Amino acid sequence: MTVIKVPHPPKGSLNPDRPASSLLLAQVAHLHEAEKNLPLRYRSERYIKAVRTEGEAANYIREVTEAIHSAHEEAKRRRFAIRRKAVIAADTARPRRKRSGTRRSAKKRNRVRGRRKG
Amino acid sequence: MPLPPGLANLQHIVVLMMENRSFDHMLGSLGVVNPNIDGVSTGLSNPDTNGTLVPPQPNAQYQSQLQPDPDHHFPAVDLQIFGGNTSAGRQANMQGFVKSFFNQQRDVGQSHMIMYYFAQNQLPVLTTLALEFAVFNRWFASIPGPTVCNRAFAHYGTSFGRVDMNPLEILAPFKSVYERLIGANPPHTAKIYYYDTTSSTLEVVNLLQNQPELFATYEQFLQDCASGNLPEYSFVEPNYNDHQADGGEQIASDQHPDHNIQAGELFIASIYNAIKQNPDLWASTALLVTYDEHGGIYDHVVPPSCTPDQFTASANDTGTGMPFAFDRLGVRVPAILVSPWIPKGTVVNRVFDHASIPGTATKFFLGDYSQRSPREINADVFIEPRVDPVDADRNLLSLATMRTDCPDFET
Repeated sequence: MTVIKVPHPPKGSLNPDRPASSLLLAQVAHLHEAEKNLPLRYRSERYIKAVRTEGEAANYIREVTEAIHSAHEEAKRRRFAIRRKAVIAADTARPRRKRSGTRRSAKKRNRVRGRRKG
Repeated sequence: MPLPPGLANLQHIVVLMMENRSFDHMLGSLGVVNPNIDGVSTGLSNPDTNGTLVPPQPNAQYQSQLQPDPDHHFPAVDLQIFGGNTSAGRQANMQGFVKSFFNQQRDVGQSHMIMYYFAQNQLPVLTTLALEFAVFNRWFASIPGPTVCNRAFAHYGTSFGRVDMNPLEILAPFKSVYERLIGANPPHTAKIYYYDTTSSTLEVVNLLQNQPELFATYEQFLQDCASGNLPEYSFVEPNYNDHQADGGEQIASDQHPDHNIQAGELFIASIYNAIKQNPDLWASTALLVTYDEHGGIYDHVVPPSCTPDQFTASANDTGTGMPFAFDRLGVRVPAILVSPWIPKGTVVNRVFDHASIPGTATKFFLGDYSQRSPREINADVFIEPRVDPVDADRNLLSLATMRTDCPDFET
């Protein structure tokens, strides 16, 4: 079986100060459109026209992507809380089952359960 | 008749889409290694602005050469394909690449660099995959234009009439391939793996903001491969930008100019290794590695016409003064299908474009599905559906027994 070595890029290849490409600027623009649908508290309040470098684009992209995920997570938690409330309310409203006979003493209850003293 | 074992075993399709490099630029050197591969040959050239004929040369560099980013928007690609001819009834001649690149810097010497391609030994991963598995001689971008529209074809089978980089308006009834698979009865599994939240996805407008649960990270992809939890259909996106993260420096791996090509080679190798290192997954997965569009870089093959989409881009939208009926494909891009069931040295000459991606996944996992664009319905598929009898001439996963001689990449 052939094993092929894959060279790594040289040190110094990373350049977040590189001018942002039209692709990255388009991605920023698309995220900006998506951001407009987010609740205010999730918005970045960044001026995207001022994004010039790859690093600046990367920061904005991360911020908005994470905000979109967070907003959906919050909605999911709220949905779960609402459902849980509804289940509890339904359970509370259900008429309780009547117990047969009188209330047993603790001593008798434990005897029935097979617990012995000592 | 029993299904070929490669198809019978197939459970996962993985698509990795890189950025902005043409077929000749990346795989053009392979014509001398395998004469069936339609790569660079003698006699090819483009005129520069002085009328000098510039041939393709194996002088491509990993970084810092194609600056500025070669123009790949619709008007520039029109010039590249038609050589500047805007008359009615014009014929494509692939003679406008040098002139197009000249328009950006007005430097004759620099304009020649658009004709450069990589020597085989410069791209050990991509060229090995092309020679070891199935390489497509005729896989084209879906439209002669930029990234967003071409990636839209890979997700939706259409770009909804768009030829630019603006946010798409997703129009009913065309759903993404992910929505079709997950919404089916019984449901199938699908995911888009982006590199991390700093790179994110290029499919923002519809999928990320409406269905973020479709998305996971590259780290998750590696874990899912190792644990055997890969979904039936996966779309992998490379890292689109240089950034710092908890794991240290994250060099962009999409190979979009001017990102480092070697970083992309490492990324492709890592996807391949992740699948191969799980024997069960390796036996049951087909990996397609392709590029969204040619990035303005030279290729010699004239894009063919195709079934028109039901949309038309106006003369104003195209920027060329001519409307576009989505009846012509974009420039050729590298495309390789990887599977241990594919015979070594397979070369495919049928015509494909990115609409083939949702088309293949839909037909393979769902069978008949009518609510697709005309372009997708008429696109060829790269994996035959599991319908008896399977066309042996078309089935690429044709080996009777799995190969044991597939290469490994040491990263």
